[in-house]
Amino acid sequence: MSSDPDKLVAKADKLTKLTLTRWSADWRNATLNYEQAANAYRVAKKYEKAKDAFEKASKGQEMLTSPWDAAKHMESAAALAKELGNWNDVADLYRRASELYVECGRAQPASDALGKAARAVEDHLPDVAVQLYTDACSLLEEDDKDQMAFDLYRALTAVHIKLEKYTDAAAALLRLGLAADKCNASNSQFKAYLSAIIVYLYANDVKAAEKCYNDCSQIPAFLGSDQGRCGSRLISAYSEGNVEEIKRVAQSSTITHLDHAIIKLGRKLPTGEVTAVKAGTEEGEGLDEDDLT
Amino acid sequence: ALLFAALAKHKLRSRSTFSAQDPRARLSRRSTGGLPRCNTETGEMSVIDILTRVDAICNKYDKYDVEKQKNLNVSGSGDDAFARGYAAVDAEIEAALEKAELASKEKSKASTVALNAELRRTKAKLLEEVPKLQRLAIKKVKGLSTEDFAARNDLVLALPDRIQAIPDGSAAAAKQPGGWGPSASHTEIKFDSDGRFDDEYFQESEQSNQFRQEHETRKRRQDQGLEMISEGLDTLKNMAHDMNEELDRQVPLADEIDSKVDKAASDLKNTNIRLKHTVTQLRSSRNFCIDIVLLIIILGIAAYLYNVLKK
Repeated sequence: MSSDPDKLVAKADKLTKLTLTRWSADWRNATLNYEQAANAYRVAKKYEKAKDAFEKASKGQEMLTSPWDAAKHMESAAALAKELGNWNDVADLYRRASELYVECGRAQPASDALGKAARAVEDHLPDVAVQLYTDACSLLEEDDKDQMAFDLYRALTAVHIKLEKYTDAAAALLRLGLAADKCNASNSQFKAYLSAIIVYLYANDVKAAEKCYNDCSQIPAFLGSDQGRCGSRLISAYSEGNVEEIKRVAQSSTITHLDHAIIKLGRKLPTGEVTAVKAGTEEGEGLDEDDLT
Repeated sequence: ALLFAALAKHKLRSRSTFSAQDPRARLSRRSTGGLPRCNTETGEMSVIDILTRVDAICNKYDKYDVEKQKNLNVSGSGDDAFARGYAAVDAEIEAALEKAELASKEKSKASTVALNAELRRTKAKLLEEVPKLQRLAIKKVKGLSTEDFAARNDLVLALPDRIQAIPDGSAAAAKQPGGWGPSASHTEIKFDSDGRFDDEYFQESEQSNQFRQEHETRKRRQDQGLEMISEGLDTLKNMAHDMNEELDRQVPLADEIDSKVDKAASDLKNTNIRLKHTVTQLRSSRNFCIDIVLLIIILGIAAYLYNVLKK
């Protein structure tokens, strides 16, 4: 066997093409050749060719009815696409890989694949990233693996905050709270609720924040917890219009234990006018790009 | 006198209570008129009973004894209980004072102590009498002028002081501040400065100022330290919670790993057994011997053929 990847690819192609002399494609050998070629290309840093080789190898494995290997090859292809910077390709390849994983009946790697995809594209195609994250979370939730979904939700929230879509961010946090509730992870749940309240306050939507707080207070444990108390202090400080108090609460240690993105929001409170009775209708301050590294 | 005795007998039969005969206590039971009764079982009376009974009767009918009344002197009005009571107490006080004088003159310590103890007992008893006298003093009696009435109250009030004044060897501690009255037996809040709460008392002294400042600084420093500790604890708590959740997350994963590894181990075991069977089959000693024997036979045949061909 020649180790020249081009030749290998050519040979494999020949094996798979149906001609008069060949009635059925020899996928096993072909797949072997494709894999070898792909590895050779990767070492030679010919990412485009390597990516193609991996795709073909994956197809071969599919034909050999081993979706696991197929998915693995797809993932490798997608990683190479990331190196190339074809973001759409990346998203597609990872999606395909995830589907294959689901075929295997393994939800965890499927959502992992989607997560990797989202992380790769979130800088360039944030909406696509949002979609990917949401799909990943639903995959896990269907499989009752909520615990793993926490990280994904948090990443999703960060993306929303970057896009300044605060209601979406708060909604994501509340879904995090729901997932945490299902697995009795009370600490994470309460932190999620407090983060949601802070996000609402940052968006200067005091009414929504209050409503959120009231909803969350339906859970008796939240009321008595550190995070609940912190939330109530924030709300009361806002309704009193007491800027000093807001700043003081924002510096407290409870907030420091939340996610980085949320801490940054918290330190920037209060935004806009803080009137004693009703919240002002001013927009929140624009996010400083430098801060959100 | 005969008439009196008859009256007494009649009274005796109608009386029903018997009580211990203490000459002083009789004063208080004047109104009930408790008289001793004869022993109902045997109908006899002991000498003591008779004596006490006669005493009681005499006391009861003292008021008819004109001569005796003339000897009573204190308030000049004849027939009221207060005067009698007061006279009795007065006499007691005099006696006590005499005893006190004796005690002070005594040379031997033991007898002094004994006398002092007696004096104290007497004083206590007298102090008990005073409230009753007070009650009596308030009662209006006919034939008494208003001045006398007022005087009575004052006399009764003065009694406790006079009783306390009887020296009994512990006089030094007995003096009570004015206004507390005969409530020495109650537990009251005791003030160092004898109850004088004037301006000077509430002035801040330098000492108290310094002390307060030191207290404040110490408290502030403690508060700071406690705040640091509290923050550290908060962080610890948060970390512990996160660890808890992480471990919860890992539990099902570990279970999966466990079952998978178990399956792999059993697979390996099976494979090993089969391999052993195959190997023994292939390379058992029996087969070896058969191989060697066959080889020897083949060699023998070859040698034989060689021999035949050489010929």
